[in-house]
Amino acid sequence: MKRYYIIAALFMFIIASCSKKLDINPTQSVDESIVFNSDKNVKSALTGAYDVVSGASLLGGDMQLYSELLGADGEITWVGTYNEPDEIFNKAILTNNAYVRDTYTEGYRAINICNNIIAAIDVVNEEDRDHVKGQALFLRGLVYFELVKLFAHPYSEGNAGSSLGLQIITTPTKDGQITEANKVPRSSLQDTYQQILSDLTTSKSLMDDDYGPYAGKSVAAAVLSRVYLQMADYTNAAKEASDVIENSGASLEDSYSKAFNNTAPSSEDIFVLPVTAQDGSNDMHLFWSISDYGARDGDVEIEPKHINLYEAGDSRLALFYIDGSDIYRSGKWKFQYRYLPVIRLAEMYLTRAEANFRMGTSVGATPNNDLNTVIRARAGLSPVAVTLNNIVYERRLELAHEGQRIHDIKRLKGSADGFQYNDNKLVLPIPLREINAGEGVLQQNPGYN
Amino acid sequence: MRTPKLFLLVCSLLSALIIQAQTNVNGKITNSQTGEPVARASVIIKGTSVGTASDEKGNFSIQVSNKNAILVITSIGYAEKEVAVGDGEMNITLEPSGNQGLKEVIVVGFGTKIKRDLTGNISKVKGSEVENMPVTNLDQALQGRAAGVFVEAGNGKLGEGVKVIIRGSGSISASNQPLYVVDGVPLSNDSYSGSPIADINFNDIESFDILKDASAAAIYGSRAANGVVLITTKKGKMGKTTFQVNTQYGTNKPTHLRGFLNAHEYIDLLREAAINSDHIDGIDPLDPDQYEDSWLEFAEGRLTRYSGWSDWKTYQTNTNWEKKAFNNNARTGAIDLSASGGSNKTKFYLSLGYINQDGILIGNSLKRISGRINVSHQATDKFQIGMNLGLSQTTTGRVTADNEFNTPMQSVALSPVTPFRDQDGVIYTSPTTTYDNPYVDYAEGNYKALIYRNIGNIFGQFNFSKSLFFRSEFGVDIHNQNDDMFYGARTAYGDGTNGYGESDWFRSLTYNTNNYFNFKNTFNNVHNLDAVLGMSYQEYNSEYANVYGEQFPVDELQKLASAGLIKGGTSVATKSAFLSYFARANYKYNDKYLLSLSGCIDGSSVFGNDRRYGFFPAVSAGWILSEESFLRESKLISFLKLRASWGLTGNADGFGDFASRGLWGGVSYNGIGGLASTQMANPDLRWEKSNQVDIGIDFGILDNRISGEVDYYNRKTDDLIYDVPVPGNTGYTNRTVNIGAMQNTGVEIVLNSDIIRSKNFRWNASLNLAFNKNKITRLDGNQKLIAGNDGRYLNSLIVGQSIGIFYGPKFAGADPQNGDALFYLPDGKTTTNDYNEAGNFIVGNPNPKLTGGITNTFNFKNFDLSFLFQGVSGNSIMNGAGGFMSSSFAWFDNQTKDQLKRWQKPGDKTQVPQLRLGYDNGVSASSRYIEDGSYLRLKNVTLGYNLPVTTLKKYGLQNIRIYVTGVNVLTFTKYTGWDPEVNTDYRAGNRNQGGDFYAAPQVKNYSVGLNATF
Repeated sequence: MKRYYIIAALFMFIIASCSKKLDINPTQSVDESIVFNSDKNVKSALTGAYDVVSGASLLGGDMQLYSELLGADGEITWVGTYNEPDEIFNKAILTNNAYVRDTYTEGYRAINICNNIIAAIDVVNEEDRDHVKGQALFLRGLVYFELVKLFAHPYSEGNAGSSLGLQIITTPTKDGQITEANKVPRSSLQDTYQQILSDLTTSKSLMDDDYGPYAGKSVAAAVLSRVYLQMADYTNAAKEASDVIENSGASLEDSYSKAFNNTAPSSEDIFVLPVTAQDGSNDMHLFWSISDYGARDGDVEIEPKHINLYEAGDSRLALFYIDGSDIYRSGKWKFQYRYLPVIRLAEMYLTRAEANFRMGTSVGATPNNDLNTVIRARAGLSPVAVTLNNIVYERRLELAHEGQRIHDIKRLKGSADGFQYNDNKLVLPIPLREINAGEGVLQQNPGYN
Repeated sequence: MRTPKLFLLVCSLLSALIIQAQTNVNGKITNSQTGEPVARASVIIKGTSVGTASDEKGNFSIQVSNKNAILVITSIGYAEKEVAVGDGEMNITLEPSGNQGLKEVIVVGFGTKIKRDLTGNISKVKGSEVENMPVTNLDQALQGRAAGVFVEAGNGKLGEGVKVIIRGSGSISASNQPLYVVDGVPLSNDSYSGSPIADINFNDIESFDILKDASAAAIYGSRAANGVVLITTKKGKMGKTTFQVNTQYGTNKPTHLRGFLNAHEYIDLLREAAINSDHIDGIDPLDPDQYEDSWLEFAEGRLTRYSGWSDWKTYQTNTNWEKKAFNNNARTGAIDLSASGGSNKTKFYLSLGYINQDGILIGNSLKRISGRINVSHQATDKFQIGMNLGLSQTTTGRVTADNEFNTPMQSVALSPVTPFRDQDGVIYTSPTTTYDNPYVDYAEGNYKALIYRNIGNIFGQFNFSKSLFFRSEFGVDIHNQNDDMFYGARTAYGDGTNGYGESDWFRSLTYNTNNYFNFKNTFNNVHNLDAVLGMSYQEYNSEYANVYGEQFPVDELQKLASAGLIKGGTSVATKSAFLSYFARANYKYNDKYLLSLSGCIDGSSVFGNDRRYGFFPAVSAGWILSEESFLRESKLISFLKLRASWGLTGNADGFGDFASRGLWGGVSYNGIGGLASTQMANPDLRWEKSNQVDIGIDFGILDNRISGEVDYYNRKTDDLIYDVPVPGNTGYTNRTVNIGAMQNTGVEIVLNSDIIRSKNFRWNASLNLAFNKNKITRLDGNQKLIAGNDGRYLNSLIVGQSIGIFYGPKFAGADPQNGDALFYLPDGKTTTNDYNEAGNFIVGNPNPKLTGGITNTFNFKNFDLSFLFQGVSGNSIMNGAGGFMSSSFAWFDNQTKDQLKRWQKPGDKTQVPQLRLGYDNGVSASSRYIEDGSYLRLKNVTLGYNLPVTTLKKYGLQNIRIYVTGVNVLTFTKYTGWDPEVNTDYRAGNRNQGGDFYAAPQVKNYSVGLNATF
């Protein structure tokens, strides 16, 4: 019988020793409770927020691509097979467009990470606290601004007080809870812009000086100049642009081509996203370059209509190249694994020139200086008369294919491909999945159902 | 490994045998499956009336005058067997035959039962039925053989996963696959790639016992919601050592080619499409003044580009790119060797198998070497130990997923005006070809997987007494896989980066232990009790690492050591554990009344602390009416049993190991590590529970000449886990929640018959049919619909409908006036040309209503012929690539032949809208791309010939059989795509069913083979 007891004892031992074995922790992820309990972890979350913002669906290329495709106007053609950009190019966007969906959801993902950081800011060491909080506010404001330009009617249309803006979420999502804060209706366009201004101005006051891949005072000022320009607040636009020019420490590259295809920030990058073989994404390269340079099949083609805009001798014209099928390609996005400039110093000169010209002021410098001495001279061109048209035209060439096109068209009340600046079809739809998940609170944009 | 070599091998073995005649022959007859003695079997000397019968222990003794005598052994319930008189004591095994299933031993979890006494529903497929089928995957061999077991290979690629669904889909997000248990070792379903049982040589398999209803499966508790497939490998039997050699050689071809436009048609239709688009833009491109910048100029420019050195205007080139996707010379060769036998103390089975199969697609192949050692030993009167161990090495030439530009099937998109090679003999690729040419990726690339798999266990069993034993098993399933990928500088992956190389390493270790007591006794001759009490623990660990790089100096250097740039790498690991305590009691009264109770308490690491354990009980009962006095004398009804069962099972598999937690994962920005949100928490996440009732009747008529089973079941699954969309403004898109409920109801019919059983001619037929209706009965809260229109597919979740039903716009053909694609408005009557305005309708169901198979076996003298028809009915297939290949020439992809029937002029009534280059004329997902997917297929046909025993005897051989066999020989279907057995691999899932997207057709194989036993 002794043997039976041994076996029985062994059996009981096995039973007893197993139940603890069910406690297993993941190895690639950490529980959210751990993320916001230390200085180091909150800062890691901030790095995470930058990563999301620099993702392909946001400023890693897609937002810029949408702007250029919407504002194509015969200057570029989408020839790729992917339906989603094609719909945007054709201004016939389906509400289930997966690119649009991802841009929307990744935008709010970045916002939620920022909200979590802001809520846990007291955990951060006091000496770094303002700078960390400032960056979180900056990224939140930046994302709201980029989203509102795409998903809402333009500010320039007027009636910003009643026109639809975005759902403003400033509280963090925790423990899987969907709260009342997530069920708010869309704020007005005016309130959305106020939120953006509040985030950016606060962030500017909190952050240290920094620029390049990370946000700092000058980067906040540069984005603010864009916001004010959209709002036609030229006084503040000039002020913020001038602040960047004078205080950022950035300087224009001596030749235009040096501003692109860099493996480190260029001297004129105010805000640039690092892209290396190991890290970062650049959908502008992916869709605008050709397979010889590791891109797709040259999905965006530059048309002669755009090429014809340049004067002979314009060094910006020289940057275009012709592929094996005699099609013009943008040299800005030619090579793989190159940093992706989001805001260049050159834009600040053009913003300041336009705003000063409109207001009849010379904040920082005269429009003539900014337009002719700075921008045109670098392009190898002789001066032109300082008129609003000339400044805006210069801006169009200088910033061509960098994601500003449709926003400038809307701001200047122009048109693209026969659609007026405020046409419903130049606004992206709220993704179908959001309408479905939004339990009736979230309102679709006009013209979509 | 060709047949001549085999003969040499066989002959050399034969020469070692010395043959001597005996006049007094002794022997023992046993059941080939159980090893149990066969009593009262008749033993007759062939051609005489001299005979005897075996005793209770299966022993017999007979005098023979001729040393070349043949013994004919017959016994009810077994196939007749002829055996040449051998040397010394003869050990004869009899194969149980189909309609004698009542005595058949059925493997249940942690024990066995005879079929007569079953109260649950278990389908048994014998290894001998699927032996020598020239397919590489076990699951495919099971197709059509068991009622309610739906097997679908998503495409004809070798070494890929095969879907096995028992009694309908039971889950939306969790695993729908059954649990596979090989000799007591549960296999992990989290296989890195392919099917969990792809690495098993199925000639080593004795039987598959498929536990379908909840009471049968409940002992496996929370892993059993989708049924359990118990795989028992062959074991040695006492007696003379038997050697077996099987060899086979064959060819592989696609079942069907779809057919695309030839160069003439391509050019004509493309130009027509361009001209139509110009007309929309108000341009007449045929007017030379308007030609510049017209669509026609654009299209003709492309034609010139695509034509390379040749001239499209004279139709100089006409390349059939579809044929370029396939290997014209695909072959299969296989050889298996096995030896089995044993003494009264030690029994063994050893085998070595080799199969080398070329896939039908270029670059696709599978080579497997496998070995098996099964040994058991009686250490003392009471103590038995043993080991079952299978080892295999599988090398697969892999092809990428169906949605990759370089997968061979996507070559159909290339233009037929493009020559295959340029004038220097170099294979053309982009920009001459429309897209990167997949053939270049095959010719200048390399994608291989090497898998080592080790599935085995050791066990000890202690018999306390005749009625009580304790058994302990410890098993492992070790899976080591390395995928090596290289793509040269001209390939789709390597273009622009001077090549691309990747090395992936995967390792998983599942170990488990089962420990249980079994008590078996009969009291007062009428009360029979069989009880089990035990526990099991299972732990799954996996690790994955990869590294990838670019910038290779030359295409010949393919390892990452030569990469100029290491682009990235990663390593990840995961782990889960599972603990179960179980008990079962089977009670039988007077051989008539059967009752079974079981229960288990299961814990899984997947759930949060409070939700970890679940209780899964089951009860079942049976009544053998034919034992009652009122039926016992019936001439008509030889067997009749009613049975009913109820049970609860659970599911915790397939939705991630940490689904309940709020997780943040590592990311990087500017070379600095960061944390970003990845998963929304749900601390309340709990088991999916499946509640199943089964009512069945088993019958045998006319001395069991016709027998069968009819079952009705109703399976209700509750607390279904699903990634529910949440508002994006939370920062997340989904949350894993127990939202829903689903129901599967169905009827299964199995009929077996010995239609003819004369001396020289026998005809057996077996039919199985299963009707299943799957219905989602609840989604989250008041949500009734999770729409699935993603632009290509329409698989949706709708309350009251089957999982993955196609819900979306209904296509109304081309507008006879102007050729616009029309869709029905929500009213279902009027139409619109605006896709966004179209109403949504149920436009198809990817779940088959009926699945089934019919097997016929004929034996005439030494010939045998069997064929298996298998089919599904009532399901639809959606071609997700329709928007590219049948798109009214929306772009330059070559089009399917049906596009010739396009709308051309007012008044045309057609389903193909006007061709319009660069315009979307109805190419978004709609019923335009949905077709009926029903099919009936001659799955397998085999003609065999057994050499006469008298001839064999001279060489000391027991049996030689030569055969020809074919797989997927004929397919009857209305589906116009490649093959109706399809579900594209890149998106296949519980919900994503019935999708076609450049998926390879199934393999049609013809083989010849030889089996020899000596």
